[in-house]
Amino acid sequence: QTGSFSKEQRQPLPKSICVYIFYHAHALNFWMCIVTKTSVFFTCCMPTLLREQHYQYLKKGLRHLSDSYECLDASRPWLCYWILHSLELLEEPIPAAVASDVCQFLARCQSPTGGFAGGPGQHAHLAPTYAAVNALCIIGTEEAYNVIDREKLLDFLWSVKQPDGSFVMHVGGEVDVRSAYCAASVASLTNILTPKLFEDTPSWILRCQNWEGGLGGVPGLEAHGGYTFCGTAALVILGKEHMLDLKALLRWVVSRQMRFEGGFQGRCNKLVDGCYSFWQAGLLPLLHRAFFKEGESQLSRQRWMFEQQALQEYILLCCQNPAGGLLDKPGKSRDFYHTCYCLSGLSIAQHFGNVDLHHELILGKEENRLAPTHPVYNICPEKVAQALQHFHQLPVPEADQRHGASSADGPSAPAASSGSAEHQS
Amino acid sequence: MTSSGAPKMAESGEEVDVLVQRVVKDITNAFKRNPNIDEIGLIPCPEARYNRSPIVLVENKLGVESWCVKFLLPYVHNKLLLYRQRKHWLEREALVDITCTLLLLNPDFTTAWNVRKELLQCGVLNPEKDLYLGKLALTKFPKSPETWIHRRWVLQQILRQCSALGRSRKQQGEAGQGDAERSQQLSDHLARTLHQEMKVCSDAACRYPSNYNAWSHRIWVLQHMAKGNVKVFHDELSSMRLWVSMHVSDHSGFHYRQFLLKELITELSQAPASTTISTSSPQHRPSNNPHHQGHLQANGEMSGAEGVCEEERQPGFTVVLQLFHDEMELCTDLIQSFPGHETLWCHRRHVFYLWHHWRREHQHHHCTSNGGTESVNLNSTDPGLAKASERGCEGRGDSVNGQLHATDAMEVDAVSLPDPRDTKRLKRGILSPCPPALPSEHSFVSGVLDSCNSPEQRRFARAYKKWLDTVIGQQP
Repeated sequence: QTGSFSKEQRQPLPKSICVYIFYHAHALNFWMCIVTKTSVFFTCCMPTLLREQHYQYLKKGLRHLSDSYECLDASRPWLCYWILHSLELLEEPIPAAVASDVCQFLARCQSPTGGFAGGPGQHAHLAPTYAAVNALCIIGTEEAYNVIDREKLLDFLWSVKQPDGSFVMHVGGEVDVRSAYCAASVASLTNILTPKLFEDTPSWILRCQNWEGGLGGVPGLEAHGGYTFCGTAALVILGKEHMLDLKALLRWVVSRQMRFEGGFQGRCNKLVDGCYSFWQAGLLPLLHRAFFKEGESQLSRQRWMFEQQALQEYILLCCQNPAGGLLDKPGKSRDFYHTCYCLSGLSIAQHFGNVDLHHELILGKEENRLAPTHPVYNICPEKVAQALQHFHQLPVPEADQRHGASSADGPSAPAASSGSAEHQS
Repeated sequence: MTSSGAPKMAESGEEVDVLVQRVVKDITNAFKRNPNIDEIGLIPCPEARYNRSPIVLVENKLGVESWCVKFLLPYVHNKLLLYRQRKHWLEREALVDITCTLLLLNPDFTTAWNVRKELLQCGVLNPEKDLYLGKLALTKFPKSPETWIHRRWVLQQILRQCSALGRSRKQQGEAGQGDAERSQQLSDHLARTLHQEMKVCSDAACRYPSNYNAWSHRIWVLQHMAKGNVKVFHDELSSMRLWVSMHVSDHSGFHYRQFLLKELITELSQAPASTTISTSSPQHRPSNNPHHQGHLQANGEMSGAEGVCEEERQPGFTVVLQLFHDEMELCTDLIQSFPGHETLWCHRRHVFYLWHHWRREHQHHHCTSNGGTESVNLNSTDPGLAKASERGCEGRGDSVNGQLHATDAMEVDAVSLPDPRDTKRLKRGILSPCPPALPSEHSFVSGVLDSCNSPEQRRFARAYKKWLDTVIGQQP
């Protein structure tokens, strides 16, 4: 008897219907979720990851990536990352020709002044920079690594660094905590990180933690799953995660797992969303490690501090499109963003530990197993190791430490930059 | 024309060009005809009626028939990109019209906002136009991050212009009636702008539950346009009472109240002497000095910080106690009226947490009232002391009432809830803005558990009790 029936036993159906009506505004959502969950229970089917369907969906998306037509999408590097990461989690190989095409496309998205933009000819922005570097590291070939102009990338990071330790998302743009994560991620992977570059950044990020324990977009704002992950992961990269109130953060994030759905919400009293399977659940590995470093003795050696099984149920039972691709919640459309983060969350929920200590909890068939993902960068751990190894052979570039348009002066020449397609709500 | 959907007439590139130009012109003319358009929307309409414009204007609502979007958007988008790449020139008027069309269809298209930034900076465009355009876009796209970001940029331009004007007058050494008048006009303008922003945020918050971007913007506006302005914060706290009572699951709305409370408490705990709530319009406080402690006088000027002594600080403290009391009362009312909403319990936690920390910070200050009652020990967990504090509350009730009166006078909304303070006062017969306390919180939880059957409510009540014990109780 697998764990898939234990939820039935914990919560009788009528009460869960009431809870569900409360949470879901649309009757259609409600019925779809109830029907999907209960039909699986009653037909005694094991939850199954629709590998083949997802692979076809991703393959089609990948084909269009290497086309060079002008399109409305100003977030092409993001698409590259979402699709490539989903494929690596499914352990599907990327054809060498496609990989090379993607490298060349991303090279065209790189700005002559450093960093990557949402599309060719646009101005650099930290979000597509993060996505492009991650995508290239997933590809992991010499060609991919060589796309990145490290010297110019460092210049770009300096140009968006602010005196108070924060970063704007692009020259002349606004500050929020995602930028620190994007900057720390690319700087550490490509070995251009210096202490001076991130001076005062940890204390700025710290100010984003509020009384609830989570982090807001800038100091003083409401705690939010996406921002909380970015702030925490950035601090982990900078080795300063202990500066956070870890216990408050832990209290906040575990309260975000929904009792009935099993998935996570982004903020208090909001609805569940599949993408938070990564942004929220992904905090638990980071916290586990942080507590471990502090010498916490009560830590489990088998489980993260969230209900791994319940999350897997939610993703497998409620977030899969039968034609391939994953989604927010029943009734919503599939997209590559949700495909990436639902699968990432599924991977987190399946794999506990690290290289030395590994414990798996796979709900359903063994074929549901995904590759593990690195909880800081969200690409596969081998790819992280490989990239680090490659770039650490190269010297750290000397930066031209011009502090570019600081926010105190206000925005300078407006840039034709792309917005991030990250879903923040 | 076929019956299956896309009209054949719009299939050739040239025809698309003609169609699009016509649509852009129709939109521009609609705004000219009716400067009071207050909402935009998409009209589901899969087929074009032959030769009829897809732009529909009814009363103050502007609609776009959906069939034209797939032609309109890529075309106009492309045109703008070509302009940006310097492959195609566009006149300023055309740029204004095209970006307007684009942003009403897709306000997250950053490039279009950036073009408008340039137009603004060279004086072709009035900042008010962009605030208006943004407001319209938000009626359909209440979350649009780029719209809110652009809005802040525009407001910064406006603020910069205003303070530049103020500085140049001072430099020229102007004095006299004309100057005071202009100064008042300027501050009135800023006050109007501030209130407009509050309205835009409010509307967007109504259109999408827990609208993070709208509420974040609201906070930004107060931080940049009403820094230290106690009156504005009080007004906002009052006017939000009704809103949050009708949106008891809106965590962002309650977070906003937490922000207001925190700001007020900080200001009132610093400012010496009278927190006289003047009825002058809110001033943008140009001082960047965080240590500058003055208070607003009726003419809007800042006075220097006076010597801060205990007696002078007391009215501020009284108001703070009242604030905490009122907020807890509101929270209690809502929790009891609407069982099972996590946000309300979360809000209670925050108010108590704020109170707990404020009390610890000001532990060593004693409040003496004019009536000569004993000093109130804020550490009121001791029942004996709680009695003393009640007496103290009673004694201070008069001056508090005086403050309350002033607060009510600031009620900006014509609609207001029946003041819970009044009903409670009648019930108890005692005047008491009594501070929250652990024992009373525990008895509140017991009360809920005894009387309420909702399983969600009971769970939240128990979780709150656990939080009181584990988080608050264990702090020194």
